[in-house]
Amino acid sequence: MEKLLEIAKKVCDQVEIYSLDNKQNVVSFENAKLHEIDTKFQSGVSIRIIKDGKLGFAYTRNLINREELLKNALNSLQGGVKAEYEFPLTKDLPKLNTYDASIETITTKQMVDECNRICEILKTTNGEVSATAYTYTETIRILNHQGTDVSNTSSHFGVYASISYPGTASGIGRVFSDKKFNPMPAHLIQEIVDYYKLSSQEISAKSGKMKVLFMPNVMYAINWRINSGTSGKSVYEKISPIAHKKGEQIFSEKITIYDDPRDDKYPGARSFDDEGVAADKFYVIENGVLRNFYYDLNYAQKMNTKPTGHGYRTAQWESDAISIKPSPSLSYMRYQTGNKSISQIIRSIDRGIIIEGALGAHSGNIPNGDLSIGANPALYVENGEILGQLKDVMVACNIYELLKNVIDVSDTLYYSYGGVMPAILFDNVSVATKG
Amino acid sequence: MLEKIKSILSQIDADYADVRYEIKKETVIAFNGRELSQITSNSTDGYVVRALKDGGFASAVFTKPSDAERITKLVVENAKLIGKNKTKPVLLAKTEIIKDKFTPPLKEDPRQISIEEKLDITRKANNVCLKFDKIATTNIAYRETIREKSFVSSEGSEIQEDLITISLAGEIIAKDGTLVQNVRVATGGSDGFHTIRNPEAQFEERTKIAIDLLKAIPIKAGIYNCILNPSMAGVFTHEAFGHFSEADIIENLPAMREKMKLGSKLGSDILNIVDDPTIPHQLGFYKYDDEGVKARRTQLMKNGVLVGRLHSRRTAAEFSEPLSGHCVAEDYRFAPIVRMGTIFIEPADKTLEDLFALLGDGLYILDAKGGQTAGENFTFGAQYGYLVKNGKKSDMIRDINISGNLYKTLMGITAIGNDLVLTKRGGCGKGQINIRSCHGAPHIIAQGLVLGGI
Repeated sequence: MEKLLEIAKKVCDQVEIYSLDNKQNVVSFENAKLHEIDTKFQSGVSIRIIKDGKLGFAYTRNLINREELLKNALNSLQGGVKAEYEFPLTKDLPKLNTYDASIETITTKQMVDECNRICEILKTTNGEVSATAYTYTETIRILNHQGTDVSNTSSHFGVYASISYPGTASGIGRVFSDKKFNPMPAHLIQEIVDYYKLSSQEISAKSGKMKVLFMPNVMYAINWRINSGTSGKSVYEKISPIAHKKGEQIFSEKITIYDDPRDDKYPGARSFDDEGVAADKFYVIENGVLRNFYYDLNYAQKMNTKPTGHGYRTAQWESDAISIKPSPSLSYMRYQTGNKSISQIIRSIDRGIIIEGALGAHSGNIPNGDLSIGANPALYVENGEILGQLKDVMVACNIYELLKNVIDVSDTLYYSYGGVMPAILFDNVSVATKG
Repeated sequence: MLEKIKSILSQIDADYADVRYEIKKETVIAFNGRELSQITSNSTDGYVVRALKDGGFASAVFTKPSDAERITKLVVENAKLIGKNKTKPVLLAKTEIIKDKFTPPLKEDPRQISIEEKLDITRKANNVCLKFDKIATTNIAYRETIREKSFVSSEGSEIQEDLITISLAGEIIAKDGTLVQNVRVATGGSDGFHTIRNPEAQFEERTKIAIDLLKAIPIKAGIYNCILNPSMAGVFTHEAFGHFSEADIIENLPAMREKMKLGSKLGSDILNIVDDPTIPHQLGFYKYDDEGVKARRTQLMKNGVLVGRLHSRRTAAEFSEPLSGHCVAEDYRFAPIVRMGTIFIEPADKTLEDLFALLGDGLYILDAKGGQTAGENFTFGAQYGYLVKNGKKSDMIRDINISGNLYKTLMGITAIGNDLVLTKRGGCGKGQINIRSCHGAPHIIAQGLVLGGI
């Protein structure tokens, strides 16, 4: 990599090299039985160069031919993609606790045994049980012409377990994740069993406006819209409905949202983004007030502001980081917790539903904040009791209205898709049912 | 290349094994609004190995040739571990041994077109959208994905096939005050570069829809009878039925598998559904799947009755049903899984006018906007629609999202048109993306759909 940097520096004004190495092992159980084991060893190198204010970009899996990779990047300069920003000089970052060497010695058999253990407990219900355990290690290194040389190795162990209502493939699931092997905590397994048992009966209820509890694993449907509205890219493109509301109260004062990349209690913490910019705790919404938009290098320069350390190589439908150019992303989203437990919150619902899974979160009008999802499953609550599950339920709202009508934020956070999330109870949400 | 992968295959000590090596070449030209944001051409490669040993079947993926030895050992160990935990050994359905090198005949090969010309076509299409005042921005990209696949199996199959997929597609975003509306635009396919030439008229038409949506009425939540246009009915077929025809989805869900037995009546009497990856010139075309099985037309539903299913070699053996050639991977980063190829509702005899007259009051909804399926439930969105009163199209509507249920919704299809259209761009996600996922239908009437509104 250093050699590639040296040869590229000779022909370009600026150079950045990003490399990635990862190993993954996934064990999956279907119907409480071992079904698949899938192993992946992958690596790659990506180069960005800037010359005369223009960007060149190229990537490869195996850095066998440095000249060819550089030639590809130089060729792409001819397209004339503007790049008026500078790759940063980043140093003296704090050391985070992201890697536990014991991850290397976890055997596939250990993972199989853990899934078996969980399945045995979940099998005490009449539902259909599945479980997946994975280990993942990743090393990212970023070098640039300024002398930045940052790297991070992280270890991940995780389990997802669920019980489905027979004949539906829809049900209750929970995720557990750590930096090393640890058994899935008993209370999480018990939650799956309890919610499953309480909701296994199919019932019907009338459509209307009611209270809706978004469980942690469906918060991503709301977060995608917040991500869109508060992104420097949306502000620049003039499609953020809150572009001119900085400093204003836009949500309930119970809502505080921040990005916390250095929180190394959870796996995958980072002190720099995918452009080598230092990343740190960053408030987006504080007590309902819009505090900040977030930027990568490119959009910060366009908006004449400072990069905030949010340039990540992610895209909604792509997963191959080396082939994706950085763009602004809130990758470590957190909500400030409230005072009540999820079960206390449920007891406070006079009439409403709990959404345990969302379908179609990607198909609404995301820039506008519109959300129209299938609740799959929707648990129906009356007078604080879960009475059963409803079928064919659609929940529709605009998140800029929804987040004004917050009743409670739960007191605990769950490691979930897209961040560490609480459950949130909203008032007066439109729920369409066939009942 | 075949020699290199055969030498990896020879290292695998298994009852059956295969190795797939792929070179993937991608060209991307992307605009965000007026700005060109990406123009790149790159090539990457990697290997997928699978092994059946002592009744277990496992897969592994690697990109560094130096990892081959370690990976080939690991995949056999994992297969054995699966075998030990199975009460019933994994079997693979018998398939023909094939030695073939297949390069699809293209009407116009994108590899022969200069990057300048590709950029010019993309820019012109993008500019068509941006000339209108109310358009806030666009995300328009040209994408060319070439998979050069080489597959060898321990049974003796040696297959090389190229898949060349292109699209000119994206999103057009209109804005008025704080109201933002978006529509999608897409053209392309697997048949060559000509599929994206002269796209201006289509891009202008889509832009006008985005602008009209700024004045459309939000639809109220409720239950409606609807005419679905071919794009919408195609996604409906894919989400509401197609995923449940993928054997790996229902394999280990005993209650669902029972309900999805061949011979079950799931749709109305007029409903016939086929998946056929062999239709030439269509987006979903391929000759062999990613485990070396020849693709074949599969009738899935006949007169509302389930008559066929999509399979891999493993699931075909598990279900004791015929092979269909539908085990496909996104690229070298993934082991193949069961996938739809080109799924569609077979056309019947009704004209669009007939359907409006039959509907009376309801909605006409058009152009899919993504969908998702979990078990029996699914949702999908429409980009726009119209109220229909007394068989006549009236006000434009927006915010259309539909929820449905496998066992009920297909029974509600009461009329089928004569105007089959297949999609030109795919992108189904099932852990991995299938950019060739192709679907279609004629106009249909579906009764009793639950709409979410906003």
